[in-house]
Amino acid sequence: MAVSHLFVQNCAGPLMIALQYNDLFDLLSISTSTNTDALPKGRAFTFIKAVQTVNERLVDQNKTESLLFEVILIAKECSEEIKMKIVESVKHYGIPAALLYDQADHHVLNQLKVIFSGDVIGFSEDSLDSLSDFGFGETQIETFKAAKICVKEFAVLIGQMRRRFGHENSPLCTCVLSVWGSRNICATALKTLREWGLDVDEVYCLAGAPCSPILAVVKPHILWDGGLHNMRDSSAPS
Amino acid sequence: MKGQDPMPNTCPPASNGDSKASWEDSKDIHENTGATKKPKSPKPENAVTIAVSSRVLFRTEKEQMVFEQQGIEEYLRYQVEHENEPFAPGPAFPFVKALETVNTQLRELYPESEELFDIVLVTYNHAHVGVRLINTINYHNLFIERFCMTGGTSPIGYLKAWHTNLYLSADTEKVQEALAEGIAAATMFMSDKQIEVSETQLRVAFDGDAVLFSDESERIFKAHGLDKFFEHERENENTLLDHGPLKSFLELLGKLQKKFYAKGHRLDCPIRTYLVTARSAASSGIRALKTLRAWGLETDEALFLAGAPKGPMLEKIRPHIYFDDQMFHVEGAAEMGAIAAHVPYGIAQKYPHKKNTKTSK
Repeated sequence: MAVSHLFVQNCAGPLMIALQYNDLFDLLSISTSTNTDALPKGRAFTFIKAVQTVNERLVDQNKTESLLFEVILIAKECSEEIKMKIVESVKHYGIPAALLYDQADHHVLNQLKVIFSGDVIGFSEDSLDSLSDFGFGETQIETFKAAKICVKEFAVLIGQMRRRFGHENSPLCTCVLSVWGSRNICATALKTLREWGLDVDEVYCLAGAPCSPILAVVKPHILWDGGLHNMRDSSAPS
Repeated sequence: MKGQDPMPNTCPPASNGDSKASWEDSKDIHENTGATKKPKSPKPENAVTIAVSSRVLFRTEKEQMVFEQQGIEEYLRYQVEHENEPFAPGPAFPFVKALETVNTQLRELYPESEELFDIVLVTYNHAHVGVRLINTINYHNLFIERFCMTGGTSPIGYLKAWHTNLYLSADTEKVQEALAEGIAAATMFMSDKQIEVSETQLRVAFDGDAVLFSDESERIFKAHGLDKFFEHERENENTLLDHGPLKSFLELLGKLQKKFYAKGHRLDCPIRTYLVTARSAASSGIRALKTLRAWGLETDEALFLAGAPKGPMLEKIRPHIYFDDQMFHVEGAAEMGAIAAHVPYGIAQKYPHKKNTKTSK
């Protein structure tokens, strides 16, 4: 499912993704693991492999491509022993994606799936009415506004990257998911993203239906909603 | 041959840069001026969810041809270029409109209830077509707030996520996949002739064998002929037939009908159901009726044709949708201008009807 601790910074060249090491490797099961070569895979593992696939395809097309994903691992407050294990494990898992699989999730590794929130992007002063039907208060409305500004940078870069590939067999798949907004809010989101240079591949409009069953089928790696995922699955956020 | 309505004068032309203003405007123009607010969509598990694909809700033959002849890139470019031209109504359109009519009346009688029809657009079309589809929904003033455009991957997984009770598509393979998952489903086709249907009453007609009931008796007929079939049905008159793929949908319609009866609308109920079977009333039809009764189900009318062609009867009934497992009957219905949907289930798919054999059962 979605990675919750994801920070994206806009730099001139690569699209930087910072991950905590304990999302990439599962350190809690170290003591029970008999494998002394590498740390067991954590929940963000398949995500990183999918990112790797996108990079490989971008470089395939253009050897001097600068718009790539770059992943940095944040590892603070861990022992030297763990640090060594992390370095070894990164080397160890540097194998083509097809060999590695997160058993629990069965994520597809040859495609990175990114979802943008249709509610955030399609949000306008006029859509306030329908959002308050779902119990959103003033502070939450302010959050929508702030989130929309944040997501634009990321959407622009993803849009550029997406255009390196055709409509079929793309290693990068982009979606819009609108949980609360009406179909017209969703349409506004699609048009806004297009203005920003991103024509998404898939779109889902739930109009208040619970989103976990749908997300379980969509299986995204990144869900960009400006932190609103905590309000998911409730028609009236508390 | 496909009628594509140009945008009426009341709609503002929307150019590509002008996103927000034109969407807000068209929303204002097309919403009911009488209504204060759009009602909220019911929770999927409470509603009778009908999933329709874009190709049966609207007419997309031209675009389909672009896709088949020129490939996906050109197809998507074409769709975006024609974004402000709404699609014309497709074969499932009258059915969807009739469902909305029922909803309006249900809401009046039971304002707090979520036991309503909920229509979801489920299509493997690409999100590039999304804007045009939403535009079309607005243009026709349909109440469809939920959709899944999966950009090429199979939509079947989403049917379960939406608690789908009936799936209508132009693609027989997808329909078969849905049937295999236990979801009532049927394929619809566009025909050139279309007789007028009621705007005040939803009419749903069902074939018996391999639609409401299993195909067990049809198997006997196909394997051993008419006489054996009669014998078998007589001997098993008091044994219930097994259920078919559309039984659950009839059941749901029955539940909604009872809500109207409870408020004194038995005679003018806005939902009417029909059994249209080749079985005959005096003999093989008895087993069908006994089975329905044992299930606690009924249809408002049961028409036993004893092998006569179904077209003229359907022309009289004018259903918004008629479900049959045999393409022969679906085509016959279409020739008369009746709206028919094919349920690709059972033995008839392996041994399609031959025109010169007798069909009386």
